[in-house]
Amino acid sequence: MNFSWLRRSPASSLPGLVAGLSLIILAVSVFAVIYSEGAGQGLTVDWAPVLSVLKMTFFQAGLSTLLSMTLGLTLAWSLSHQRVFPGRGFLVSLLSVSMVMPTLVAVLGLVSVFGRKGWLSQLADLFGGPGPGTFVYGLTGILLAHVFLNAPFVARALLQRLDRLPPDRLKLSASLGLSPWRQFCIVEWPAVKTSFYALSATVFLLCFTSFAIVLTLGGSPAFNTLEVAIYEAVKLEFDLARAVTLAMVQVLVCAGLVVLASSLRNDDGSLGVVSRVSLWPAPVGARVLQVVTIAIFALFYISPFLAVLWDGALADFGRLLHEAAFHKALVSSLCLATLSSALTVAMALAIGGTKRTLGSPLRVELNWGSRTLSSLLSFSGAIYLAVPSLVLGFGFFLIARKLTADVYLLAPVALLLANCLIALPFALVILAPAMEKSALRYDRLAFALGVRGLARWRLVEWPGLRREIGLVAALSFCFSLGDLGVIALFGNRDFATLPWLLYQKIGSYRTDDAAGIALLLLGLTLAVFFLVPKFFDRGGDA
Amino acid sequence: MNRIIPLSVIIALALGLLQSQALAKPTLTIYTYDAFAADWGPAPGVKKAFEAECDCQVDFVAMDSSIGILRKVQLEGSGTKADIVLGLDTNLTDVAGKTGLFSPHGVTSQNSALPIDWSSDLFLPFDFGYFAFVYDTNMLANPPGSFEELAAMKGDFKVVIQDPRSSAPGLGLMLWIKEAYGDRAPEIWQKIAPKILTITKGWSEAYGLFLKGEADMVMSYTTSPAYHLIAEKKDHYKAAAFTEGHYMQVEVGAIVKSSQQQDLARRFMAFMVSDKFQSIIPTTNWMYPASKTALPAGFASLYLPGKSLLMDGIRVEKNRKAWIKEWQAAITK
Repeated sequence: MNFSWLRRSPASSLPGLVAGLSLIILAVSVFAVIYSEGAGQGLTVDWAPVLSVLKMTFFQAGLSTLLSMTLGLTLAWSLSHQRVFPGRGFLVSLLSVSMVMPTLVAVLGLVSVFGRKGWLSQLADLFGGPGPGTFVYGLTGILLAHVFLNAPFVARALLQRLDRLPPDRLKLSASLGLSPWRQFCIVEWPAVKTSFYALSATVFLLCFTSFAIVLTLGGSPAFNTLEVAIYEAVKLEFDLARAVTLAMVQVLVCAGLVVLASSLRNDDGSLGVVSRVSLWPAPVGARVLQVVTIAIFALFYISPFLAVLWDGALADFGRLLHEAAFHKALVSSLCLATLSSALTVAMALAIGGTKRTLGSPLRVELNWGSRTLSSLLSFSGAIYLAVPSLVLGFGFFLIARKLTADVYLLAPVALLLANCLIALPFALVILAPAMEKSALRYDRLAFALGVRGLARWRLVEWPGLRREIGLVAALSFCFSLGDLGVIALFGNRDFATLPWLLYQKIGSYRTDDAAGIALLLLGLTLAVFFLVPKFFDRGGDA
Repeated sequence: MNRIIPLSVIIALALGLLQSQALAKPTLTIYTYDAFAADWGPAPGVKKAFEAECDCQVDFVAMDSSIGILRKVQLEGSGTKADIVLGLDTNLTDVAGKTGLFSPHGVTSQNSALPIDWSSDLFLPFDFGYFAFVYDTNMLANPPGSFEELAAMKGDFKVVIQDPRSSAPGLGLMLWIKEAYGDRAPEIWQKIAPKILTITKGWSEAYGLFLKGEADMVMSYTTSPAYHLIAEKKDHYKAAAFTEGHYMQVEVGAIVKSSQQQDLARRFMAFMVSDKFQSIIPTTNWMYPASKTALPAGFASLYLPGKSLLMDGIRVEKNRKAWIKEWQAAITK
């Protein structure tokens, strides 16, 4: 291949190409291993149960997405109109926590609040009303948890778009006397539309590949997602042929969905942040709707956090902190999270950097070659969505079985990679725009002055990117810390993480210990998520 | 730069900590299910008693369920760390025997307390019991007396059961209904399905949910109330008597063929059917001991099923997959 169109710094685009291509090779080999295992077993597929799982997964994910997006949009709209009320800042910053909240912690909180003997039911008893019953299990439970975890971050993202609306447009619409509904249709909806569709696709994929929630709250094979069905086929039935079939269906469907979703680009117009002032009060009806939405949502969203705090505070930490299994899990969790965070940042910088080079006319000649490589890199960043963690874990499991007698040898590697892949799409969404902006702003100057290599990194990139890098580091750390996916296949006494230990404690009815671990996980997550980006931000000033 | 140093230390630590250490004394590693290995289960007493006479270290490794024990050994194959497995039951012995992963236990005589004949050179019984739904008499005055009555319960009545693919009581329940209703089993499951709160992977989680008040009844054993009676002095937990009869479970232990501690393992098997081990069982595993042993007070007041059901292990193994499929289809409808 002729690389002469790489006008500048061809070497600097190598790491990204290597990273991207190895991810693609990894995905292809996982698929190949699974396929060859399937072919080796002489697949006699009983399609009926596979199809019923697929149907249920689509139905559940569709419904979860619909509910999450509806609530998310309504909430974002309400918050964008209700600018001043006590606790608004706190509520808004808490919204983004839902993204990194360990799923099992969310499950525990939700059961404590909405269970048959939960807070809601006790409240109902107090007022003599009918209790909420047992809806926290089964399909309703899955939907509840998915809305709890997805609607807040949808609202946060959409609120950001709404906050960037130019005030003149709002002033104009107000002076024209548009009703809130008309204003929404004419001014607000067009501003959030693209984000809304892109977010819908993401939420759908997240719910489609949901594992921990369906495993713990689903409560019946009737509500299994493909991920849980794969887990059960491996762990419960040791039916590898069935697992292979399910994994292949999962990969094909997800890859299809990713391709479909990639046409829904999330355009980033992060320019011109404008603080808004509502000049004319909206009609009473709209205001009531906004206030009620915010109030009910805040109660729904905050009470599980409080429940985790409350239950956890009652745990016997003295004993828990002295438990060897707990130490092991804590140490492996922290190590894995640190490594996966570093790896994610490195991969995202490499892939993002190369993608930037390939898209910049100053650096390369834009032709089919650069465009193909560029879209290949985009795909490599989103590969997790096509090869979800259970499938990846299962692939590693099969590879390990072929290579060595000890299938657990590869467990840390599989876990690390899975954690990194989960974080990568988010990391790229955060880093890529900032990297492109810095290139746009400084490329001419830097090339003219001959600032290259480390000097360029130190003088140009780091100051411009350190906030984003901090955010990516924190995000990927938290994703890894709270993940119950691959570890469910590989977890054992010698190799455990905190979420795995938590799952074991729930399974063996150690309610106290479970509550304690949940509280610690939540505390760690919140601390890292809020403090690490600050640390990076300030560190750069010194 | 000074921020890089702690990071590299953490990475070095991370790599170093993923290794384990070797021990001097011979270690007997026993895979069992969580409730057996728990602090309040038989494991601590068994460990103490056997270590007193074996000059070895006994190491219990807990799996989330009894079927989990077999799956784990299957997954690990000949590389398994297990020397002994404890807690497989009659429904699993045939499939477990076929894996070729186990070697003969070497015990020739047992003063058997089992109500059935038992002969297997691979699997040695250590306790038995009858499956039953347990309820709280303070919360539920009129428990169902059959599966048909269970399906017809009014209001927000919920039971919590276990997955037949991962849990012995779960499999027991599936076989119970199959044995009692034959071809009508799917119909019964479909009727019961709306009454199921959740299907857990293991017994402990299910029993925990029941005690927390999330469900009205839980799939367990006729001997479970003995725990509340003896350990907690509470007499308001009862097993619901079902007119269909009650399915039986016999729990067994076996020696793993690839174990490097064959002699030690055989000594453990002999110990397992002796009085020392057997007398630990009733008040820790809350089951009937498999060898004739004096029972604690409390046990006399338990409901003893007039009619017990048990399927031949070979028949179970032949049909297990098909029946699980049938079960899955029935509750998914």
